[in-house]
Amino acid sequence: MMQFDSTPRALRRAFLTLLASAGTARWSVAPAAQTPPPVLKVVATFSVLADIAREVGGTAVEVTALVGPNADAHVFEPTPSDVRRVASADVVVTNGLRYEGWIDRLIKASGFRGPVVVASQGVVTRGVSGGADPHAWQSLANGQRYAENIRAVLVAALSARAPARVAEVEARAAAYQQRLAALDRDTRERFAALPAERRRVITAHDAFGYFSDAYGVVFIAPRGWTTGSEPSAKAVAAIVRQARASKASALLVENISDPRLIERIGRESGLKVGGALYSDALSPVGTEADTYVRMFEHNVKTLVDAMSLNVPGASGDAGAVPR
Amino acid sequence: MNGIDVPALPNSTQLPVVAPPAIAVEDLTVSYRHHPAVHHVSCRFEPGSLTAVIGPNGAGKSSLLDALTGRVQPSTGCVRTGGLPRNRLAYMPQQSGIDRTFPLGVLDVVMLGAWPRIGWFTGATTAQRAQALLALASVGLAGFEQRLISELSVGQFQRVLFARVLMQDAPVILLDEPFNAIDTRTTADLMRLVQHWHDEGRTVIAVLHDLAQVREHFPLTLLLARECVAHGPTEEVLVPRHLMRAQQMAEQWDENADWCAAPVLVSRAPS
Amino acid sequence: MTLLMWLQGMLIQPFVEFGFMRRALVACLALGLSCGPIGTLLVLRRMSLVGDAIAHALLPGAALAFVLFGFSLWAMSIGGFVAAVAVAGLAGLVARLTPQREDASFAAFYLIALAAGVMIISIRGNSVDLMRVLFGTVLAVDDASLLLIAGIASLSLLVLALVYRPLVVECFDPGFLRHLGNAGAWVHALFLMLLVLNLVGGFQALGTLMAVGLMMLPATAARFWAAEVWSLAAVAALFAVLSGWGGLLLSYHANLPSGPSIVLLAGSFYALSLLIGRRDSLLARQLSRRSHRKA
Repeated sequence: MMQFDSTPRALRRAFLTLLASAGTARWSVAPAAQTPPPVLKVVATFSVLADIAREVGGTAVEVTALVGPNADAHVFEPTPSDVRRVASADVVVTNGLRYEGWIDRLIKASGFRGPVVVASQGVVTRGVSGGADPHAWQSLANGQRYAENIRAVLVAALSARAPARVAEVEARAAAYQQRLAALDRDTRERFAALPAERRRVITAHDAFGYFSDAYGVVFIAPRGWTTGSEPSAKAVAAIVRQARASKASALLVENISDPRLIERIGRESGLKVGGALYSDALSPVGTEADTYVRMFEHNVKTLVDAMSLNVPGASGDAGAVPR
Repeated sequence: MNGIDVPALPNSTQLPVVAPPAIAVEDLTVSYRHHPAVHHVSCRFEPGSLTAVIGPNGAGKSSLLDALTGRVQPSTGCVRTGGLPRNRLAYMPQQSGIDRTFPLGVLDVVMLGAWPRIGWFTGATTAQRAQALLALASVGLAGFEQRLISELSVGQFQRVLFARVLMQDAPVILLDEPFNAIDTRTTADLMRLVQHWHDEGRTVIAVLHDLAQVREHFPLTLLLARECVAHGPTEEVLVPRHLMRAQQMAEQWDENADWCAAPVLVSRAPS
Repeated sequence: MTLLMWLQGMLIQPFVEFGFMRRALVACLALGLSCGPIGTLLVLRRMSLVGDAIAHALLPGAALAFVLFGFSLWAMSIGGFVAAVAVAGLAGLVARLTPQREDASFAAFYLIALAAGVMIISIRGNSVDLMRVLFGTVLAVDDASLLLIAGIASLSLLVLALVYRPLVVECFDPGFLRHLGNAGAWVHALFLMLLVLNLVGGFQALGTLMAVGLMMLPATAARFWAAEVWSLAAVAALFAVLSGWGGLLLSYHANLPSGPSIVLLAGSFYALSLLIGRRDSLLARQLSRRSHRKA
């Protein structure tokens, strides 16, 4: 049964299914033929992983995410229905690197005994205070690693139950890898085209470490600031001074933090306040960042726009946070 | 504390007192949770009369006053005030209904009596302020105007309430147990004030407990024990026969009394 | 550097240099001026805990607005306001029409509202913290919030000045006001409306802690300095403004979070008043025992 998230996606999936079938020399009777039902129930911890799993698994899988779009995995509290969902899943996909502090308890509570994918396995991590930075998907090279890890487990699970579907998944995974690789190349080129001193932005949430390393963008984080705590006037003053002095191009807002303060700082320091960057969650279906690829494309576009424009002073209407 | 010098008492508006209308109570019943506090009472308060309302505890005296002022709606019957608007009835409540810890000054409380003339927004005129000071002096509280009411004794606060009634300059005055818990000297002083009102031609109705006081100062008495036991000249009402009957009737509080056979109508008290 | 220059640097300079400090100060000023009298009246009416109740009463309105209109700040603020007004209005009505006291009816309705709000959010399944959108912080006051709160403060002061007398009488001797006409009910409703308006505006601009803190703490402290209603209100407003100014400076110089700094400073004013205030403080009581006049 197809997941009808939105009509364009459904159509796209139908088309890809056709291609996959053609690749194995099996012809569907007609484009309107019944698509084969999903074999595996996959539960991913959050929306980014869910999307990658969907791209790789296609119609062979039915994917749900525990932490949905625009939600914060750090403050997620599982409900009884989440426990049930995990219990009835065939595969669970997690990020690893201690991103989901609650997943171990949840799996234990549900009694799930199937395969658990640690999507970040094999990724070269970067260190931050307190361990490794878990936001590895911010680099597309790592994203490819994620897709590969997921593919491996999905194929293993399918081989046991529905070996006929394995080829379809392999093909999808290969296509997806190509897509990610192309996007990676493209992104590197775009940033390389900008002068180094423009590639500096200020953003509140420090989730873009991998992105920064991969593409040469400097993310200036306000010191000692987390989304949870309330800042002091001294900290805000320091950031304003820092913003004024840092020669950053812009101030960017993230989709899970209080944007009002960021706007205020932007106005005060004369930096352009850019749009939202998506880091920990996709946006809802039908909006600009509803898949991993689109999220990435959106972030890149926002950053490049912010860095390229030479508009000093006024922050303009870009301060509106898309909701 | 100064005594009250009656001849010096002013008529606070310097105008002749408006002749009060008669107040007619017709088949009045006031009930709470189906039990009547006032049960089918009919009587008439003539203009300028000075009437004491007495009766045992729970006889419905305060409820009668509440019905006269329009604070409660009667279950049956009505109160006719002959066209007098409600705010021309001055009502002095028992102190228990008032928050005496509230940070108000004595003068402010007295000036409230002039509310209908001052209204919400305008300030008080100097003339009205002078009247208020005079009213305070009349009740023996000259010099107290800046004090807070929380600093006053019960007797002093009662005087303040009297001063407020003075300010109201109303043709009809209702007093609910005005001499509760105050000493004889204060009582005597304030009684002279009441007498003065009677001399000015105002209708005064007072709920009281002290029979000696009633015999001495009040020409008319209404003896109430949920129903009207007797109403008329004091010496005719306060006889043992009536008093005993009143006592008996008040002791008849019955949880399971039959429903009253008289027709139950809800009517508003027309003005 | 002379003392004067040092003082200027410490007390004035941060506001000169940074716009956000100026805005925060103006917001505190506006809120303090209108919350002074309102807080005083709340304390006198024994409704001191109502502020926190109203913060929770916002939830069902905001949640419903979220369900219907998505994450729109405007829709949620208006929804929250309507819910709070409904709770306050119903509580006031119940207190008037039945023997139940206002603090009890307030407790009942705000709890109902809070539970309803949580229910709505759970059914919708989104664990996003809605309330974070509704509650601002003092350092992030933007133009819209500033206008809102300044407008509310001006309106409140105007209305309070107009209905000051009936409002006071309604507290002190409600029977008297009722006897003169039914205006008492309207005045009380107006007061509740102003209360909710100030609180919701305060929440939006400054957050719950600060809004309720600046409303209640100065009012409770004023009691140890002033005697009459108007002077209580004036002292409360003064304390509120001083707390805002001083708290911001504390946050700036000592690197402390702004909201708690302001409220704790207000709290220390309270503690100080309690100890050494002019009227009925612990010290005053000690002293009055030692000596007395002749009459």
